[in-house]
Amino acid sequence: MKISDLLRLSTDNLRRRKGRTALTVIGVVVGTFSIIVMISLGIASNAQNEAMLQSWGDLTQISINNYQWGAASGDVPTLDDKMLEQLRGYEHVVAVTPMYQDSNINAQIYAGKNDRYEAYAWNMYGVDMDALQAMEYELISGSFIQKDTNLGKKKIPVLLGEHFAYEFQDTRKSYNSGKRQRYWGETDALGNPIEPFVDVEHDKLTLRLTAYDSNGNEKTEEYQLVVMGIFKQDDAKQYFTNAGIAMRVEDMQMLSKAYAKLSGNRQSSGGSVMISSSGGRPLTQQDNGYENVYVKVDDVDNVSDVEKTIQDLGYQTSSMTQVREEMQANVAKSQMILGGTAAVALLVAALNIANTMMMSIYERTREIGVMKVLGCEVRKIRNMFLVEAGAIGLLGGVVGVLLSYGASLMLNNLTTIAAIFGGTIDLSGLMSSFGGGYYYGMDGASAAISIIPPWLVVLGLGFSTLVGVLSGLWPAIRATRISALEAIRHE
Amino acid sequence: MAPIIRVEHLRKVYRVGHEKVVALNDVDLAIEPGEVCCIVGPSGSGKSTLLNQLAGLEKPTKGHVYIGKHDISTMTENELAKFRQEHLGFIFQSYNLLPSMTAAENVALPLMFKGVGRKERIRLATLELKKMGLGKRANHRPTEMSGGQQQRVGIARAFVAKPKVIFADEPTGNLDSQTTRQVLYRMLQMAKENGTTFVMVTHERELSAVADRVVTIMDGKVESNVLMDAQTKAAAQAEMFKDILEQEVPAEPKTTRPLKSEKKSEKQ
Repeated sequence: MKISDLLRLSTDNLRRRKGRTALTVIGVVVGTFSIIVMISLGIASNAQNEAMLQSWGDLTQISINNYQWGAASGDVPTLDDKMLEQLRGYEHVVAVTPMYQDSNINAQIYAGKNDRYEAYAWNMYGVDMDALQAMEYELISGSFIQKDTNLGKKKIPVLLGEHFAYEFQDTRKSYNSGKRQRYWGETDALGNPIEPFVDVEHDKLTLRLTAYDSNGNEKTEEYQLVVMGIFKQDDAKQYFTNAGIAMRVEDMQMLSKAYAKLSGNRQSSGGSVMISSSGGRPLTQQDNGYENVYVKVDDVDNVSDVEKTIQDLGYQTSSMTQVREEMQANVAKSQMILGGTAAVALLVAALNIANTMMMSIYERTREIGVMKVLGCEVRKIRNMFLVEAGAIGLLGGVVGVLLSYGASLMLNNLTTIAAIFGGTIDLSGLMSSFGGGYYYGMDGASAAISIIPPWLVVLGLGFSTLVGVLSGLWPAIRATRISALEAIRHE
Repeated sequence: MAPIIRVEHLRKVYRVGHEKVVALNDVDLAIEPGEVCCIVGPSGSGKSTLLNQLAGLEKPTKGHVYIGKHDISTMTENELAKFRQEHLGFIFQSYNLLPSMTAAENVALPLMFKGVGRKERIRLATLELKKMGLGKRANHRPTEMSGGQQQRVGIARAFVAKPKVIFADEPTGNLDSQTTRQVLYRMLQMAKENGTTFVMVTHERELSAVADRVVTIMDGKVESNVLMDAQTKAAAQAEMFKDILEQEVPAEPKTTRPLKSEKKSEKQ
């Protein structure tokens, strides 16, 4: 007996009892439909959460917070370049960069004739350029600084934030004058934006370190900043993309060293962070390495693992994962409740199938007997009924999937549909019941309420078929137990 | 020649409530290959039980049934199914055709279980139906046929897989005497043509006249086991199938329109 024969026999039997088959299939349709729609709602709200978190910050990023005043600093291994190399070697870690800032440095940036324009270098960071690229920092113009870029002594290649130019003040104007500073977004009387004092990409920028030695004498040292590129402002990333300066770690270390030398090599100034690079000055005891390091992970799902590994080293970390997991748990909870209801529908459908199969087998007792006597193996009889039950499930699944696509389409265009009928529908209640009230700040109208990914279709079909087969199992086994002799006497 | 069916000390006891009913008591029997064997006896004598044991539809309480070299009384259900596929054919009193299938599909059932492709088995089934004079009925459903026609479909189904042995349980029990004789004739003819061993249970003693061997069962025991001689057999068959033999092959299909030759003669 071939598989094609098995399929033909089973589907023939279904076709013979069209009404009953249809009713049973409808049961499965209802069950599959409700489960798929419920899951699709959950997927959509998860997707919305994800999009929202993404707007808050990179989900695949872990921040190591190694500030000196942090707890347990005694047991924590030094977060130096060697440690960064170790972190880079971890599985799933894509890139690692320190957010290296020297809070001791007193530095200003000057531009214009006679250093007329001045800006404070508050937000000056040493970073790993490759890591920035991996973390999807974007430039409006220019390019990231290469490892081998060498502009000569006292010339530092830098990247500036999109609006860094507005940091400059006109030192000729008094502090009280409204003309001392210009702000981004301001417009003149005609509505044209007011340009900053300095064209950072073309004007010469001078970085001046100012320190006082033990005798109180002012000492200065100057460097030229060469702008290699301008960041695109991204509030989900570091502030320096807005109005800061980023340079290579080694340049920052060089500045740091130069400043320490300028100020007489004093270590006791408190919290000075000196990092030992190759050939550098040894670390002092209170030094604990970089204060802030970012680790980029390849996938959101691996973040918590990597974070755990880093925490096990003794570091304090933070990431979006915690918030994300909490949100997901919320969605999962409401999905469980609604999905459970849907599962009840499918359970009823399963009982329905079982009942239909029992009836079918009772009606066909004689047929089964004849088949047995004519040499049909028990296994094939069982398979015949299993295929029949599975076909009911599959058929219901197919119709259920199609219907849920329709429902999904309707839900996602509800505002449009409502507009056609001249009414408005507020769905915020429905959606917030899912996400647990995380929906503020989202554009509710444009976001999908229901998402049916391909895997859900496959799952729906597979599950409905499985339900069919499982509920056909017992009747099918009963069918095989029918005694051939009694069956052929059965009227 | 070694017997194809051999029964040794066969005993079958049924439990009815707390009582035991002995249906067969120490039956010994041997049937030669190619024989037509009739098992006769009054109702309740145990003849149907014997047939069920011979065909492996029931397990004996004691004793053995051999078909060829195989002891079918020790086979598992699956082995039996395979064995029936390969070697046995069945004809039932109530035809037992599947109502959802056409005549040809019904006849093709044993071939389907054997794994023969659909096209091939429908071809073979139609061939078999033609032999039974039902070539035109191949695509009809059982409900569209008379009892005699249905039983002929049943016979075609039993023979289609060329089994070694065919068991028939009161094959003519539901038919009138005219049809009975026709069906019987067909069965015997087919059995002889194919060299098939044919075991038939009947309570109509007169039908047994056509058999090579007549086994009479009474109260669960073999009362007599008679091998008929050729002469009596020929005489009995000539008597029974008189009208059929005169008619040669029955005019099938029965058309109301006269043949061309007949038309001509009418004109003259």
